[in-house]
Amino acid sequence: MDCKEIRDLVSDLWGGELSAEARQHVSKCAGCEGFLRDARLAQAGFRVLAEEAMPEASLGFASRLVRRLQEWEEKGARSEFFETVGRRFVYATLALTLALLLSLVLPTSGPVRGVAGADFLGLQSNSQSSQPDVIGGDLSDSHDLIPGRLPD
Amino acid sequence: MARLESEVTREIECIRRVQQGDGEAFGPLVERYQQRIFSIVFHLVRRRDEVEDLAQEIFFKAFRAIRSYNFQSSFATWLSRIAVNHCYDYLRKVRASRISYYSEMTEESARELERKLESPRARGLDHGEKLSLRDFVSGLLARAPEDDRVILTLKELEDFSVEEIADLLKLKSSTVKVRLHRARKRMLEDLERWRQEGK
Repeated sequence: MDCKEIRDLVSDLWGGELSAEARQHVSKCAGCEGFLRDARLAQAGFRVLAEEAMPEASLGFASRLVRRLQEWEEKGARSEFFETVGRRFVYATLALTLALLLSLVLPTSGPVRGVAGADFLGLQSNSQSSQPDVIGGDLSDSHDLIPGRLPD
Repeated sequence: MARLESEVTREIECIRRVQQGDGEAFGPLVERYQQRIFSIVFHLVRRRDEVEDLAQEIFFKAFRAIRSYNFQSSFATWLSRIAVNHCYDYLRKVRASRISYYSEMTEESARELERKLESPRARGLDHGEKLSLRDFVSGLLARAPEDDRVILTLKELEDFSVEEIADLLKLKSSTVKVRLHRARKRMLEDLERWRQEGK
């Protein structure tokens, strides 16, 4: 057996009995002897640690904790409500601001927009020209009122 | 047996009540498991002054997550898993500030201790020897990587079986065995290296 096998065996058995072959190696190898000694000390040390007195919960730990949890829940529910309402308010304000900005920035009429709009409206009015108006008039009468309309 | 069954029934009832929003029902669960959680925290973290705060944080996490508990594993295992994960995160956080040294133990005193360790529960040791063994192993654990520290603590200090550790860490039993073996070997080799560097 070599040193690596011994170390594997010691780590694996962890306090279990070593074979005669392993014991023979350990008796001749100072490194493995030290390794085995440390393993035994570690096992004993773990036993000492496991027997050590445990810190105890302070008096009323559970009831105090439950009270805090309930407070947290109430606070959480409150803040969740305000968070939701607040978020909606922010979104609504942003949407309004954006709409306002667009209405200010974009021109109400212009060379391209005006023509396209007029064109569209012109076409629409052409197609509707044969239909009587609800108040009995003809829509073709209002053609001249459409700004930027292309000449016929 | 009947008492155990009634305790389990009461526990299930408490869990269901908490899941339905009755925070008061969490109290009996805390009382039942506080010692277990204190033990896991103390053994993993080894700072008496931090144990209660960490235990509180663990119960807090458990309370927040209790709706996700589906009775697949026992409540004790589920709660212990939260505790182990929380301590693991804590250990990783404090690692940078952790400076650990092995306690001084001369070759002679180590041999003397070894001779006394013939007794299976180390009863032959006096208070001073127990203290030096405690410091020795505390040093070993403090220097170990977090994964090794968790698995060694659960096995050696919490006395969990390989199967219980596997259940807790959601690993296969064979994986736990391999990790335990490696953790022990790494720990002893680290000590050996430290000794050689010190000489």
